[in-house]
Amino acid sequence: MRRWLLASIAVVLVPVPARAQAVRTWGAEPDARPAPSAAGPPPEPPPATIGTPVAGSTAAPPTPSAAEASTAPIVRTPGAVGLKYTLEGIEVRGNTTTLARVVLRYVPFRAGDVLDVADPELEATRFRLLGTGFFRDVQLSLRRGTRRGYVVLVVDVSERNTIVVDDLWLGLSADVVPGGIPRPLTAYGGARVTETNLAGTGVALGGAFAVADQQLALRVRLADPQFLRTNWVAEAELLYSAARDFFGNRDVLVDDPTQPAEDFAVAQYKRFGGRIGAGHDLGISSQLFLEYRLERIDASLPRAASDDRGEDVEPIDFMLPDGSSILSTLRATFVNDTRDEPFLPTRGHRFEASLDASLTPLGSDYTYTKLQLHAAKWFALPWGHVLQLQGFAGGVFGNAPLFERFYVGDLSDLLPDRVLDLSFDRRPAPNFLNTDIVEIRYGDYAAKVDAEYRVPLYRGSRSIYGVDFFGGFGFYGLANEQDFVEHARGYTGFSTWPIDLTFNAGLRIETQAGGFVLGVSNLVGLIPVRGQQQGAARP
Amino acid sequence: MTTLRSGRWVVRAFALVAWALAPGGADAQPTTQSQQPTRPAALPPRQANYAWDKDLLRASFSYRDVLADPELMKKLSSGLPTVIAMRAYVYREGADTPVALAPRVCRVVYDLWDEVYRVHISEPERERDQAAVLDGVLRLCTDARDLAVVRRALLTAGQAYFLGVVVDVNPVSPEMIEQMRRWMSRPTGSTGIGPSDALFGSFVQLFVRQIATSDKTLTFRTQSVVP
Repeated sequence: MRRWLLASIAVVLVPVPARAQAVRTWGAEPDARPAPSAAGPPPEPPPATIGTPVAGSTAAPPTPSAAEASTAPIVRTPGAVGLKYTLEGIEVRGNTTTLARVVLRYVPFRAGDVLDVADPELEATRFRLLGTGFFRDVQLSLRRGTRRGYVVLVVDVSERNTIVVDDLWLGLSADVVPGGIPRPLTAYGGARVTETNLAGTGVALGGAFAVADQQLALRVRLADPQFLRTNWVAEAELLYSAARDFFGNRDVLVDDPTQPAEDFAVAQYKRFGGRIGAGHDLGISSQLFLEYRLERIDASLPRAASDDRGEDVEPIDFMLPDGSSILSTLRATFVNDTRDEPFLPTRGHRFEASLDASLTPLGSDYTYTKLQLHAAKWFALPWGHVLQLQGFAGGVFGNAPLFERFYVGDLSDLLPDRVLDLSFDRRPAPNFLNTDIVEIRYGDYAAKVDAEYRVPLYRGSRSIYGVDFFGGFGFYGLANEQDFVEHARGYTGFSTWPIDLTFNAGLRIETQAGGFVLGVSNLVGLIPVRGQQQGAARP
Repeated sequence: MTTLRSGRWVVRAFALVAWALAPGGADAQPTTQSQQPTRPAALPPRQANYAWDKDLLRASFSYRDVLADPELMKKLSSGLPTVIAMRAYVYREGADTPVALAPRVCRVVYDLWDEVYRVHISEPERERDQAAVLDGVLRLCTDARDLAVVRRALLTAGQAYFLGVVVDVNPVSPEMIEQMRRWMSRPTGSTGIGPSDALFGSFVQLFVRQIATSDKTLTFRTQSVVP
């Protein structure tokens, strides 16, 4: 994803159609109460009644008389703030699209319950409803029931637009010519859009696409945050991809009658399939997801191709079998997230671990497991800045398809990320450290550690919520098993470690429309790469 | 040669990061978590009555306009608790650090069946429960009467002091804000199976901003008093 482009925009589309009437299940409108007459100049101070008035301050009137005290509108009876009622019912108002039953899912009270007005669950219910993203405002109140001691809980909601643009991608991918000068390869673009409250049911329907020269990816996703009224999230996704990927930059030998002679080899493949899954909260900060995926892959590969690896010429592994194949996987993902905010967090941590298993008993033509660990922690520094430390490690064990391997662009800030599993760029790693990282585009093992320092520049509460300057710096490594047991010939010493630097700096801007990252890494990525080129092995 | 040049580059990069990490390396204002007024002298002025009760300074002032919003008045009679929390910080003229604090918390619940407001008041030296009608609630909860502010021993004779007052209606507890932010960060169904760091959380987060930390906040300062 091009970081200099919009990361996320929430759009205000057409007004939500008034599909349903407000649901009123109990009673009539509550009494309208008069507003106080306190507007205008500040109120006068009440008189001091104890002690000696201070000279020079506003003169204190005399102590109120017993007669005045007796006319004060205070009922001099013992009071009790703690009140308990019997809940007669729950009334949902203001919902023109969202079904009342969807609102009621988030209300943990039922008719017949004893309702303590001091129960913190009442306040939590309001925030829980706001947390759905379906409502601009939520207010709770009580009104009398039909019998003494009975009350009706009234939930007033004000709906908001629920169509969200989650991601936008636009950019120019690049190639490099000998000498390290980039040249444009293809423009690419895409978007991910979600209706988070489909027809007021609380179900999310999302779609995504990515397109580039001779490449297309489509996704359709359906998610029910409370599947069958349980606390399980259920999701289903359909996917289609017509993709190409590039291998080598020069001195590539290809036997492919369908492709014009180029200095790289092209693997073309199509994917069609889907996945279903379910997730469950494990406490307030943790979630567990389980997923099954089934795909058919049709690949069209060159009959033969070879490329330089160090001083040697080796056959290219396209990481896909020619023709049709089936991918069938199970995935488990655990997430622990205690960040205080999602876009400009100042404290907390986020940990994610996922394990994929693709096994022949599941009908898969690919036998592999994939493990990924990602941890990040944010520190609020005493002088108001924020430090983030982050680490990632992953391994693919077995014969995984191309798009399941780790890609150098996903690790380096200086190359475009993959979009919906499509890779558009042909540049190798920038290779600031002059290592054999330049030989590797996809790897089975990847690791990255980086730090980001943020300086808050602006905080607001209207259209722009925050602007932070950030600077990030890190190391990453990408390797295949071969790189551990048989280094590319021509590399010695430190250069046999396939690692490189990555860095970025710019602004993180949080707005009402979403989060934006304006980074300089994209500009840096367009200048000539520093290290040696693939295949240009050192003696 | 190439390796040597890269080595220098790495050293420079580390130096740059070290400079950025150093305190004061960037010219930004630190964000404060404190809710007390940062520039109390510049707050809007409001009149108070002071009296000396032996060596105890008492103050009387009103913040009835904190409930000027009709929505808050409506909430007052919602049947659910409304909390009006007032904090009066004592400042020496010219200083931004308070020397004392006098809090006052009023908790009101409208009793739907007895049609009276149940009021609980907590302030220094006293705590009381009362039942009142609406005007009585305004008097009890938005007028500080003879509020015990500070002992004379804590003040310097001849110096001028004033009160910097912060009034919150329905302040949200830090624990609830923390919990709420986590819900907003990870709204149900938004993370799902897909990329769990999706920016949908950012979209939902705008509600956190709208909710703020209370329904209404009023701040003002009083005129000075010299002990």
